[in-house]
Amino acid sequence: MIWLAWRQFRIQLLVTLAAIAALAIYLVFFGRGVHHFYDTQIAGCTGETCANAQEVFNDKYFNESMLIGAALLFLPALIGCFWGAPLIARELETGTHRLVWNQSVTRTRWLAVKLGFIALFSLAVTGLLSLLLSWAAQPIDKLFGSRFGPMTFDSRDIAPLGYAVFAFILGTTIGLLIRRTLPAMAVTLAIFIAVQIAMPTLIRPHLMSPITSTVAFTSDFLENKQIDGIGSSGTSGGSSGDTTPVGIFGYNKPGAWVLSSPFHALLKADGSAFTRVDMRSCMTGEQTRDGTCLASKNVHFNITYHPASRYWTFQWIETAIFLALALALAAVCFWRIPRGFS
Amino acid sequence: MTPILETEGLSKRYGRKPALSDCTLTLPPGRIVGLVGPNGAGKSTLLGLACGLIRPTAGSITVLGERPAANATQLARVGFVAQDTPVYSGLSVADHLRLGARLNRSWDQQLAEQRIKQLGLDPAQRAGRLSGGQRAQLALTIAAAKRPELLIFDEPVASLDPLARRAFLRNLLEFVAELDVSVVLSSHVLSDLEQVCDYLVVLVASRVQLAGDVQDLLAEHYLLSGSRADLAGLPATIEVIQVEHTPLRSTAVVRCTTPIPRAILDAEPVSLEQMTMAYLTRAVEMSEPSFSTKALEVQR
Repeated sequence: MIWLAWRQFRIQLLVTLAAIAALAIYLVFFGRGVHHFYDTQIAGCTGETCANAQEVFNDKYFNESMLIGAALLFLPALIGCFWGAPLIARELETGTHRLVWNQSVTRTRWLAVKLGFIALFSLAVTGLLSLLLSWAAQPIDKLFGSRFGPMTFDSRDIAPLGYAVFAFILGTTIGLLIRRTLPAMAVTLAIFIAVQIAMPTLIRPHLMSPITSTVAFTSDFLENKQIDGIGSSGTSGGSSGDTTPVGIFGYNKPGAWVLSSPFHALLKADGSAFTRVDMRSCMTGEQTRDGTCLASKNVHFNITYHPASRYWTFQWIETAIFLALALALAAVCFWRIPRGFS
Repeated sequence: MTPILETEGLSKRYGRKPALSDCTLTLPPGRIVGLVGPNGAGKSTLLGLACGLIRPTAGSITVLGERPAANATQLARVGFVAQDTPVYSGLSVADHLRLGARLNRSWDQQLAEQRIKQLGLDPAQRAGRLSGGQRAQLALTIAAAKRPELLIFDEPVASLDPLARRAFLRNLLEFVAELDVSVVLSSHVLSDLEQVCDYLVVLVASRVQLAGDVQDLLAEHYLLSGSRADLAGLPATIEVIQVEHTPLRSTAVVRCTTPIPRAILDAEPVSLEQMTMAYLTRAVEMSEPSFSTKALEVQR
């Protein structure tokens, strides 16, 4: 039976291996470039040179790493469409299931070998690329601290393994239920994309309960680039009066996943809003004076987030969820197959 | 001896549409059983049920005493050649033999190779490039070389031209004698089966109309002719299957298990075709009061 699985799959397998090999070589070169740049120009740098080097580093490698991440994100979709969907649908479509299921191998065993063989291969391919990308992009992820970003999280470490197996068995199941290859491919792609959008936006944030904490707003925030800007929320813009609350935009906690909205309202010691009047008195541009002023009012804001230390927990949970979904779908196949087809 | 196929109240419906209704059959071993009926009568459904590709809606079915496709051993005992004789178009003839060898413990490689050679098939040829007749032969070879106790063919010759049809059936006969295997094959063309079968099952409109040994059946059926009144006054031991009236004469195909009374004149032996047509026509007339041409699809 393994021979048949191999014989029917070998062309796809060889084509894939060639593509994967090319991608892997490219990733090795890319990774060496990234690491070399980081080790020689960024590690241990100081001051102005450092900022410039980081800028160059960003320009040179960030977009490329995102593109590779996107490709890796798309790989499971390809596996689902091209390996999963036709697996049973094509047999049903061409009628060859009536040939192969009447040899002395039970349908359950036939399915188990086919699913096992290709699922393992999917794991190997995705695992290799994910490993290479995780290594290659490690300095980038470290520097820009966005490991929880949807593109980054989904294309690094073990999460892609879960997606690959899930997509493959999703395709197989859809093919089994629809019984036609092309529609099954389309449906598989649609479902997989929907899941990939729903997961980071709707489900992943709630996998663990986030932490809420208070951050003191000091004059440091005015100096460095931890935030994008200060201002008022809403559309009222500059016409707002003295009592309009003020907040900060785009607070970034390195390595963590901040869930609260990009606008964080600034609060004073008693919890009341920090307004434009307060802002005028405490943000004059004189750093020492402003610092004391902000400290005296205990200006702060609240954030909800997942700390950086949860990264691996999230990776494991995510992978486990997708493997569990894959198992459930496989159970559907094993239940459906012996029930016969007209 | 265990019957090759035994069903009890076997039914299969797709939604509301019955494909096979209340089928109770016992097929003896060591025969070549012909299953005849018009298209859509339920032949493929019955054979699909027998090899476990379809599950029944109601009733029971055993093949060689076991549930169809129950396990690998049962699968090894039954060879099945599906309608349109599916093969993997991307695999070569040799690959198909390898497939058979890998997937069947009881595989007879010598038999398979010998047959391929006899048929003049090129082992390197892709199955997708074979003619319909060659494909059917390849499918037959795979089914036979696993050395089953029962071979089931679903319309094996339907897509073949008359010449290939005859060659296939003749080849099948030689084969069966050599292998000592029971055979069930279906066709909507009676003449195909007439050449090879010694046991007949007539299936129309999802129901079994007639089943039995061909010689026994022929011995029990007669063609009577006479006036309308003659045929109306037949004794109860004679079952009228189907009557045809012309202004001058009426002819009837009848079944009588006891010797036909001497008093009845013009009792002639019936041909297999006349007998089968009588059952087909009766079944079609019963299921569709306005006579349809469906029965005529079963042609000579």
